[in-house]
Amino acid sequence: MKGLKLSGGFSLASVFDCLPCYVTVQDRDMNLVSANRRFVSEFGEFEGKKCYQVYKRKSEVCDYCPVQASFEDGVCHTGECKVVNKAGEEKVVLIHAAAITESGGMPEFVVEMAIDITKQIRLEEELRRREARYRLLFDEAPCFISVQDRGLKIIEANRRHKEAFGDGVGRLCYEVYKHRSEECFPCAVQETFQDKEVHFREEVVCPVTGETRHVLVYSAPILSEDGEVESVMEMSTDITPLRELQGKLEQIGLLIGSVSHSLKGLLTGLDGGIYLLKTGIEKNDMQRVSKGLQMMERNVQRVKAVVGDILYYAKERELCFEDIDACELTREVTEAATMRAKEFGIEIEVRMPETPIIMRGDRNALRAMLSNLVENAIDACRVDKSKDAHKVTISAEAHDEEVVFGVSDNGIGMDKETVEKAFTLFFSSKGCEGTGLGLFIANKIALGHKGRIEVDSTPKEGSRFSVILPRRNI
Amino acid sequence: MRKRVLVVDDEPDVVTYICSILEDNGFETATAADGEEAMKKVLEQRPDCVTLDISMPHTSGVRFYRWLKESPEMRDIPVIIVTGISDDFKRFISTRRQVPPPEGYLSKPIEEESLLMLVRALCDRGGSP
Repeated sequence: MKGLKLSGGFSLASVFDCLPCYVTVQDRDMNLVSANRRFVSEFGEFEGKKCYQVYKRKSEVCDYCPVQASFEDGVCHTGECKVVNKAGEEKVVLIHAAAITESGGMPEFVVEMAIDITKQIRLEEELRRREARYRLLFDEAPCFISVQDRGLKIIEANRRHKEAFGDGVGRLCYEVYKHRSEECFPCAVQETFQDKEVHFREEVVCPVTGETRHVLVYSAPILSEDGEVESVMEMSTDITPLRELQGKLEQIGLLIGSVSHSLKGLLTGLDGGIYLLKTGIEKNDMQRVSKGLQMMERNVQRVKAVVGDILYYAKERELCFEDIDACELTREVTEAATMRAKEFGIEIEVRMPETPIIMRGDRNALRAMLSNLVENAIDACRVDKSKDAHKVTISAEAHDEEVVFGVSDNGIGMDKETVEKAFTLFFSSKGCEGTGLGLFIANKIALGHKGRIEVDSTPKEGSRFSVILPRRNI
Repeated sequence: MRKRVLVVDDEPDVVTYICSILEDNGFETATAADGEEAMKKVLEQRPDCVTLDISMPHTSGVRFYRWLKESPEMRDIPVIIVTGISDDFKRFISTRRQVPPPEGYLSKPIEEESLLMLVRALCDRGGSP
């Protein structure tokens, strides 16, 4: 660096020349008074030139100049700007400008140090580009992606996930995916936390649209630096269209699984009846014999109902419309259900007008539909231990264009998840007892009559199923 | 002193069946129709053994099982899982290192002799009630 000497003969120029940055000294008119070797080598000779002419190869003053700012207020200023070297290459530098003043007067010179940060800027840009690219891939992946922590809280979710389930970040995954209040069993994410392996499972989830979707869930571990599972990524592919297209054969396979699950419970009940019958005869205990017979009758009736559902499902029979009396149908269903309700001490109430309600419908199909709803209502009361008295109310109402059948109970009620999945094939909230066919078939029959079933339910309070059917428009 | 077995199942006919077999063979029984009721009964009566269904309304069998095995005072009570989904439950529990596996499994429909053999073995490690 030319012209700069420290007292005692020590050369400041040699110090500046060694610095890993460009150093210049400028006067008030932006003339370059001095520069270090690195500057000269990068930007060329500077004598008689203005700083912007050498640094930027241009003829006008820059919009913002830290050197000018330092001249004005005497303090240090910094800034980031693009410069062009003598080879015409653009570089980004971080500038520190410091005023050189003599005994508190106005600055005579400003020393400018410019550090080349071109590489860092490029790296930052590259990092930003990559981040944006990964974010794009994450958001646009054709599946729902969420990341859960150990507490099963969602800590990140992609765009498709947010569109389908709302903003779930910060909430528990089972609440967001399934509207459940308890964690799922079994759970692929929990399994991955346990063994660090990838797991997959088919699930039914409830997006905000209200339609249930079948998804194939993959859970993959996200490991920390020390190899522990920090969080788990859950990727769910919507396979609902595939599910809908799957052939009858697979459904029959599921049907067998579901029915055998249900039959295991019923067979245990039948075994119980046989056991009481046998031991009752051995002990000459007629009360035990009678109890055993009742158990057998009850379970045989339920096996019959399951078989009826299977046949209805398997046959896909055409509905056969005729003029029927909705009140007569309601009476028939009520009579059939009364015996079972009595066994559990459940009161049955019927509400309908005295005059017939004539409508077009398939008598047998509607009877099966109502029976399913009434059986469900009895089951909901039977397992409810929170109340002393239970009642199932069956009603038929006539409107100008519609007939409304109602089945309500004050049983256990259903949570949001159960209500949403109530009509899904093979979904059952009744453990071994349910086949997951009853409400699916009931809904199918209502749809076949161009009607619908509406459900209103509150956990621990009860449920009401309303079947709304057109009277004449078929 | 007669051994007491808590029978947990939401299906009354299954409860009647299991209780009849056990009572006919000298056991005392208590019943619960869901996990929550089962928790209360365990605290009140401290049974010698529990037969437990998994799929039940309200509090499930899984939740009750976890609660029992995490309780320092109660975790020694042996549990027999009696369900139609024994295999699923076995797989599930095997992935949970912090929860010990149950002492026995029985699949529905239940064999009278299998039930008695298992309950006797667990109630007194082979002793009769």
